[in-house]
Amino acid sequence: MMILLTGGSACGKSYYAETLCQSFPLPRYYLAAIRPYEADSKAKIARHRQKRAGKGFTTIERYTDLAGLQLPERGTALLECICNLTANEMFDDEGNQTDPFQTVMRGVAALRSQCETLIVVTNDVGSDSKTYDPATQAYIQALGRINAALAQQADCVLELVCGIPIPLKGALL
Amino acid sequence: MLLIIGGQGSGKRSFAKTLGYSDSDMADAVLDDRPVIFHLEQIVFRSPDSLDDILQALEGKDVVICNEVGSGVMPVEHWERAGREATGRLCILLAQRADCVIRMVSGLPMVIKGELPCASH
Repeated sequence: MMILLTGGSACGKSYYAETLCQSFPLPRYYLAAIRPYEADSKAKIARHRQKRAGKGFTTIERYTDLAGLQLPERGTALLECICNLTANEMFDDEGNQTDPFQTVMRGVAALRSQCETLIVVTNDVGSDSKTYDPATQAYIQALGRINAALAQQADCVLELVCGIPIPLKGALL
Repeated sequence: MLLIIGGQGSGKRSFAKTLGYSDSDMADAVLDDRPVIFHLEQIVFRSPDSLDDILQALEGKDVVICNEVGSGVMPVEHWERAGREATGRLCILLAQRADCVIRMVSGLPMVIKGELPCASH
């Protein structure tokens, strides 16, 4: 089963995802795609780690190439998040740009085949009125396509608003 | 307490007026003793580290109105990211305390927690 959780910044996605994972069997893997680049990311990672403590997660840091990952056992996996994974697959350290669609979709499919329940966290980055540079614009487009494809494959899609889950597809868990 | 969220121009204040509140009942991004406050996000952006104080100051409000600011691309500027994050976190706390949470979409009130209050003010 695959559940997709979406929503804006600080809408309660992570907390909801972690709580949701508690209702599925062990082992529980937390797949972290966020790179600890800068102070904000590091603070976010520290906050997420603290919140996950005691919830039975094994943390696996995986910034790219999800398709090459072998989970030790079948169980529950929480992938956080598609926005970071997409950025990591799309831009390398030299600033080169590739279309991340196939890589991300293959990676999620590979992960899904290795667990009973996969919970995927993503973000809505297309809803603002600003104009960005071509690379960012391409990223917004790519993430939008990936989100749409994931939603199509997911059994359940929820949008988190102020910590409240709004069902967009399938039954609310 | 009723929490009304939504994008800019989504009809949040107009909806509050259907509940019987007038413009003079509504405080624009200031914490005073009026029953309704709007542009809460502006208060949070001014002091993103004071969520506890803001939360306390909002106790006793009938209606709290806040713009949804967490969508779109993660801003480059630290203060902007911090403001977005803090607004989101405060709204989660307010939603937990609220009897009813309404999200305005194109002028339509979507009840996402509790039940729509009747016009009683």
